[in-house]
Amino acid sequence: MSIQDQLKGFGITFRTMLSKPLTLGYPERKTPVFPRFRGRHRLWTYDNGLEKCVGCSLCVAACPADCIRVVAEENTPQLRVSAGERFARIYEINMARCIFCGYCEVACPFDAITLEHSYELSERDRRELVYTKDMLLAPAPKQAPLRAEGQRV
Amino acid sequence: MAEYAPVDLTVENQVEFELDGRRVAAPAGTMLADACYAHGVEIPIFCYEPRIGPPIGACRMCLVEVEGMRGLQTACSTPVAPDMVVRTTTDAVKEAQDGVLEVLLANHPLDCPVCDKGGECPLQDRTFKFGPGTSRYVEPKRHQPKPLNLSHRIALDRERCISCFRCVRFSQEVAQDGELTMQERGARSEITTFSGDPYRGRFSGNIIDVCPVGALTSIPYRFVSRPWDVQNTPSVCGLCPVGCNTELTVREGRTKRVTGRPEPNPAVEEGWLCDTGRWAYDASWSQARITAAVVREATGDRTATLEDAVDGAAALLRGRTAGILVGTAATVEEAGIAADLAGGALPGAVVARMGIPGGALAPLRALPGAQLGDVDDADLVVVAGGDPSAQQPVAELRLRKARRFGATVTGCGPRPHALEALGTFIRTAPGDLAAGVASLAEAIAAATRPVVMWDEADLAGEPAAAEALAAAIAANPAARQLELGAEVNGSGLRALGLPDAGAVLDAVRAGTVDALLLVHADPLDAPGRAAWDAALEGFAGPVIAIASHADATTERADLVLPALTMWEQEGTLVSMNGRVQRLRPGARGPEGAAAGWELLVALAHRLGVVPGYRTAAAAFRAVTAGRPAFAGITPEAAGVLGVPLAAPAQVAGASAPPPASGEGVPLVATRTVYGGAAARRSAALADTAAPAELRMAPDTAAAHWVNDGDRVVLRSSSGESGRLTVRVGDGLPEGVVFAPLGAPGSPTEGVLPADMAPVLVRVARVEAG
Ligand code: SF4
Ligand code: SF4
Ligand code: FES
Repeated sequence: MSIQDQLKGFGITFRTMLSKPLTLGYPERKTPVFPRFRGRHRLWTYDNGLEKCVGCSLCVAACPADCIRVVAEENTPQLRVSAGERFARIYEINMARCIFCGYCEVACPFDAITLEHSYELSERDRRELVYTKDMLLAPAPKQAPLRAEGQRV
Repeated sequence: MAEYAPVDLTVENQVEFELDGRRVAAPAGTMLADACYAHGVEIPIFCYEPRIGPPIGACRMCLVEVEGMRGLQTACSTPVAPDMVVRTTTDAVKEAQDGVLEVLLANHPLDCPVCDKGGECPLQDRTFKFGPGTSRYVEPKRHQPKPLNLSHRIALDRERCISCFRCVRFSQEVAQDGELTMQERGARSEITTFSGDPYRGRFSGNIIDVCPVGALTSIPYRFVSRPWDVQNTPSVCGLCPVGCNTELTVREGRTKRVTGRPEPNPAVEEGWLCDTGRWAYDASWSQARITAAVVREATGDRTATLEDAVDGAAALLRGRTAGILVGTAATVEEAGIAADLAGGALPGAVVARMGIPGGALAPLRALPGAQLGDVDDADLVVVAGGDPSAQQPVAELRLRKARRFGATVTGCGPRPHALEALGTFIRTAPGDLAAGVASLAEAIAAATRPVVMWDEADLAGEPAAAEALAAAIAANPAARQLELGAEVNGSGLRALGLPDAGAVLDAVRAGTVDALLLVHADPLDAPGRAAWDAALEGFAGPVIAIASHADATTERADLVLPALTMWEQEGTLVSMNGRVQRLRPGARGPEGAAAGWELLVALAHRLGVVPGYRTAAAAFRAVTAGRPAFAGITPEAAGVLGVPLAAPAQVAGASAPPPASGEGVPLVATRTVYGGAAARRSAALADTAAPAELRMAPDTAAAHWVNDGDRVVLRSSSGESGRLTVRVGDGLPEGVVFAPLGAPGSPTEGVLPADMAPVLVRVARVEAG
């Protein structure tokens, strides 16, 4: 390797040392997402606290990755969970399998499930990637910043 | 699809007509809807259901254009005619279909997401395929409180009903229970029972299958799963010897529903099931289910892993001469492998089957046999003995259908029963069935296509009647016989050539066997249990039971190996009239249990003899090889619809029972499927469970010094019964008492001999009512 080649190489190093980095310094700084970004799911309730999900399993039918499991049960006067005749006793999404296509959101006749912005879903054990109904009903613990109109990262 | 009648396009003399510009043909009399379907054109239908009966044209969904006829015609009720020109896709037809669907949906709640029918709903499918896509109705819909319980097992959602009348017609014409009706008119029409009480019927669940919308749904299956969450497996029902073809709906390893097949078996059940067969599946996770092996030791019971338990069983059996008793619900594979053990792993073992010996029935069984489907075109149906509606439920629907089709129904027997209303029935005195048979002989001889149904249990007990009946059938070459069997797989066990349980009982008594292996056998709950009680009392050897549910027999066993049930395992059952049909595994069954045949194979391995089969299908081939009844029958040949045995399942060397002797009043026992043993294990059917009652006419009660409500025990030469409650009823014949088999604690079984020979009983009051 000639000295010229070495100088050429270091030239690149010095040049880029002084320019603004392309990377983002995660996790202190997070990539902001577009408004229509499809991340972690969220199940919704009405203002009166009743769940919007009636456990109809249409999301299960729509899911191409087969990662949703719904076990429904009937609402009773003693236990009224959803606004419909039935509710989801079990609602699970296996995030390890989910491909974030958003078909479940499209399939849901009650707008009970939406894909939100949070994308920080890693766990130390893959079993913890099976999200339960309680987890999905709560807002994502780690929120992602939203990209402002015209913003560039 | 089952909703259209099957059309045979191969018969001679077909009618040619034009369908959407094509020249096609169909047999004369075929309804247009069926003919079109056979030629690949689907005409949407709702009210038409050929299994229920003639079309009524209630829904107007099936309108088509027929050249030369004014207005549109209903394809479900217009038979094909020569050179008819039919158009199914014209604008007029399309407009009619749009219009009908728009009106049908005008008041429909469109709550498909919460409806159990959603995803398998003809209304959904046809709206999607033939509907207008939008509705012009903006007015508020009619609303009704929902759901309403039509019975403990059927939910009715009146908002969804499209008034197709299928359920009403099923109740009125097929089951003929006269329960359902349509009340009110127009938008207020609703399905209800005449009295407003819950729908009581032995076949009520079929209305769920026929309802083309989600108006009628199963309560035990309510919101349990959606069609895309499940696997459906065609199987057969193993609760009674009829052997109805079923479909198991399985979700996450459990049987969640049993329905009639979407493609029914015309030779057997035609898609109908009795309520027991439909709802008893929750017995597979009932309280009595054995989920882990039980080892009885001096210090108490302990559970064991399957591995250890099979090792334990092998250790107990090693070096001993075993008696092997195969129960009547065991599959052909289980029985065959058990018999195989005697040849290798357990040399010298005595293998026998539970159930009726039936030596006297040989001449009847040798006659040409009929399938249940053949009853449809009989001109005379004879019911000799028995009570099909209680003992072989779906056979009742076939009989009613034959009557609807114009056949004469007649018969004789000692029991009053529901089918007697269909024709002339001769009430015979117990033990004198021969007299009834004699009076039927003439009618059998005179008929052109008679089918004679005969009750296994009744005729086995009366050899003279069996002989006379065989002669009467043989006298008419066109006549065929159809056995109304008593046990689930009785025919299969006989076809394997197993001798009756007496062989093992004698060996136990004589001490020639010193271990007992029970394969789904319940000798302590079956007729003849008194003799078994006594024999097992002094039996010192180990008793090993392969069983799925706890009963008196597993209580007595030293080691219980948990087996799978008919909803969970593979196997072959032979129905009462010799139809070989396959059970297919739906659910997985408890963790600690295995299929009976697998347990037997494992046992053979542990005993040092490696059997030549590892799968149920291979076992079937091996154990049926060389059996004339199974000649040419393979699991593949049995397919999904089953095949008749190649030769009748005759019994080997059994003798006829002696006539009843001693003193007392004759007892007539009936094994009721509805409310019987299966119902007591099933939570869904709990309210149907029949109480242990001794029924008799008023004068008979007076003669025995008992009143309605008294608690009594019966004594006969075979033993003593458990406690029964006296029910005095009008309309029962005098001088005879009636009791059910399979009641809790098996009280009646105690007085009966194993061969079900007629018995005389003395009635002793133990507690006043
Ligand atoms: S309940 Fe179902 S089967 Fe009965 S009339 Fe209504 S839609 Fe038809
Ligand atoms: S008639 Fe017998 S085989 Fe048919 S469904 Fe009922 S119990 Fe099962
Ligand atoms: S299907 Fe023909 S009128 Fe209903």
